[in-house]
Amino acid sequence: MSFYIPIGPQHPVHPEPLLMKFKVEGEQVIDVEINVSYTHRGIEKGLEYRDYMKGIFLAERICGICNAAHTLCYVQNIEQLLNKEVPPRAKYLRLIVEELSRIHSHLLWLGLAAHQIGFETLFMYVWRDRERVLDLLEMITGNRVVTSYNTIGGVRRDITPEMEQKIRKGLDYLEKRTKYFKKVVMEEPTVLVRTQNVGILKPREAIELFAVGPVLRASSIKHDVRADDPYAAHDEVPFNVITYDTCDVYARILVRIDEVLECINMIRYSLDHLPSGKYRIRLPVVIKPPPGESVSRVEAPRGDLLHYVKSDGSDKPYRYKVRTPTLANIPSTARMLTSRGDYIVYIADIPIIFGSVDPCLCCTGRVMFVDVEKGKSWVWTYNELVKYSRERFERHD
Amino acid sequence: MIEVLYKIIQMILFPGFAFIGVLSLLYEWIDRKFYAKLQNRVGPLYAGPHGILQPLADFIKLLSKEDIIPEGADKFLFTLTPIFFFAVNLLLTLLLPICGTSGVISFTGDLIFFVALLTITSILVYTAGVASVNRFATIGAERAVLQFIGYEIPFMLSIVSVVISSGSLTIKNIVESQSNMWYILGPNLLAFAVYVIAVQAELERIPFDIPEAEQEIVAGWLVEYSGKKLALFRLGRDIETLLLCGLGATLFLGGPLGPVIPGLEIILHTLYFTIKSIIILLILTTLKAIFARIRVDQMLVFSWKYLIPLSLISVLIVRVVF
Amino acid sequence: MPKPGLMIGEVYKNLLSKRATILYPFKERELVHLPEGFRGRIVFNRDKCIGCQMCFRVCPARAIEIIEDEKGKRPIFFMYRCIYCATCAEYCPVKAIELSTNFENIAFDKKTLLVK
Repeated sequence: MSFYIPIGPQHPVHPEPLLMKFKVEGEQVIDVEINVSYTHRGIEKGLEYRDYMKGIFLAERICGICNAAHTLCYVQNIEQLLNKEVPPRAKYLRLIVEELSRIHSHLLWLGLAAHQIGFETLFMYVWRDRERVLDLLEMITGNRVVTSYNTIGGVRRDITPEMEQKIRKGLDYLEKRTKYFKKVVMEEPTVLVRTQNVGILKPREAIELFAVGPVLRASSIKHDVRADDPYAAHDEVPFNVITYDTCDVYARILVRIDEVLECINMIRYSLDHLPSGKYRIRLPVVIKPPPGESVSRVEAPRGDLLHYVKSDGSDKPYRYKVRTPTLANIPSTARMLTSRGDYIVYIADIPIIFGSVDPCLCCTGRVMFVDVEKGKSWVWTYNELVKYSRERFERHD
Repeated sequence: MIEVLYKIIQMILFPGFAFIGVLSLLYEWIDRKFYAKLQNRVGPLYAGPHGILQPLADFIKLLSKEDIIPEGADKFLFTLTPIFFFAVNLLLTLLLPICGTSGVISFTGDLIFFVALLTITSILVYTAGVASVNRFATIGAERAVLQFIGYEIPFMLSIVSVVISSGSLTIKNIVESQSNMWYILGPNLLAFAVYVIAVQAELERIPFDIPEAEQEIVAGWLVEYSGKKLALFRLGRDIETLLLCGLGATLFLGGPLGPVIPGLEIILHTLYFTIKSIIILLILTTLKAIFARIRVDQMLVFSWKYLIPLSLISVLIVRVVF
Repeated sequence: MPKPGLMIGEVYKNLLSKRATILYPFKERELVHLPEGFRGRIVFNRDKCIGCQMCFRVCPARAIEIIEDEKGKRPIFFMYRCIYCATCAEYCPVKAIELSTNFENIAFDKKTLLVK
């Protein structure tokens, strides 16, 4: 006897709305259907009405936590169109803020994962220690979460030697606490029994379903944009690509904790080798790049982030497209949440499996029409959307 | 006639319903404040000095909220379950020896009566989940029954060890036979450990709050209750906490016994009883703070693989020693 | 090697240490530390302004409007539209705009959210 239970759109475990309809029999999950269209905001259209310097601030608000990655991707795109190089000091400073924001994102995720398996104490401790990273970001950039640090041509502020001292002290504290959390995750039996052999994604499936980010690296595939396609001083700062081969939720937690330790080492290296010089080249306020297209990739905390821009010579982009890592991870999530053969998924595993993918749904919503009988799919233009909304308003008046 | 009147006043005021009500709200405050301090934060703070009136404020707020009965629910069962849950727990507190070696009600074999009525509360949880016809409630009720299969036997067996040590099934005799040495300091230590874990599962607290898992099934079997019914369930849960901590203090820590000054006996006995049950409450809160929540099938495996053999060993130890 | 309940040492140590919460806003306002580069409410120095309208052109949120007064053109700032990005402060040639550390910018009346 099976029935459907809906998780979402409003649910205590989701910070953002999405709908997952599960077909369950007793305590086992048989099938899932995911619907992510609740937070579509029309940002790609909004970027077509703003010129390039103002568009940085809209691109930053695509995702609250990965905002350093989104601005970095955007300004790299425009600099590629204009064919300008930023000074070396700017590249190192961009790396420092990007890695600090990655530490912030992973610690926030660790607290949420602990909350989803019911471990409230670890959640409170991790979020208390995350305040140190937020204090460091506030000191460097002026704001805790939405940093607005990158700009076309470099970065907006510099790091003074007093700031360097405080950053180093903060990093020592974070390293000590992260090692303690790693010990708790690896040795506490209630955590081990909830996370091992849960949410398995085999390496072959991960490649077929195009998983990205820590989900891919926890299935023992060595892929990281910072190593394969380096940007912003990543070719000069050495680091290890972390992989684990147990392919379950436990591996994903360990991949993210080890990445935090790697980030701390990268920031220390770049503070030691910071080149001197200018941190910004001045560009005119209204930028008119030559007509052309450009693609840029960045390793956001959740995976590969891709931005595409097409310019037609005016001061506003003709088309801007964003492909976020969570959208690429949704088919893998659906595969991890269905039981097949010997591998059984229980209702109790749903929050931690879904949380181990680190979903950031604000960037994910897409709208597309599919006509299943005729086998074709199309998208609407702006005028058709406006016409439809006016008709509906008049009908329901 | 005077004795009947005296007994009724004892039942209603002290150490009966009013005293139990105040004490259970105090226990909830201690639980929340201690849990918060373990996590390096403040607990309730603003309602009364140090937040001591917060559980009372929560209760009064819930009484004033709208009470919605879902359309497809079984109205009879839906309305009666909270009242029975609250009433059974309140009745059982009259058996606890708070201000003397026997409670307000005491008769031969009242320990069996106690444990039998406790199983009714667990069955009422299942009824509450099934009566509110909601998918999440059904899953929560299912999990509650599975958990009940897990913890009931170790709970009974740990009480059996105490019964064998004292040789009687009456609470009054168990308390009096601890006047030389408390049971926990003897061969009953293993039984005490098993009792504490079984009580944590009965009260549905982390690591065993599986029927009410907030992250998975949105409050489980309680999901459709609101207003006065939810207030009764929560107060019933608080009284059950007091009940089980008090029973633990009676069976293992000597109940209200301790050095007395003649003339002040009632106050000192009550004080000893309260302090001992607060010690057990603090142990339960620490267990709540250091573990994650386990799955229901893992809970059954844990219970049948570890708890039941341990409780059987403790019965054997006690039988051999005595 | 699994050790059950290994957080118990840390948890009991925290019983004795000071709480991590700050009782803002009723009691401990002075414990909220803000660094000096913090981007808060705009503070405008009328005497330095030369009326170049640069801030109006670069504001991404259209939170600045130019009005005339007796000394010439000058901006007014709508804090309810502002996104606190500090672009106006960066592009002002005479540094007449500064962002202070005042972050408490909510009001019942829209007029308090206007910086003249």
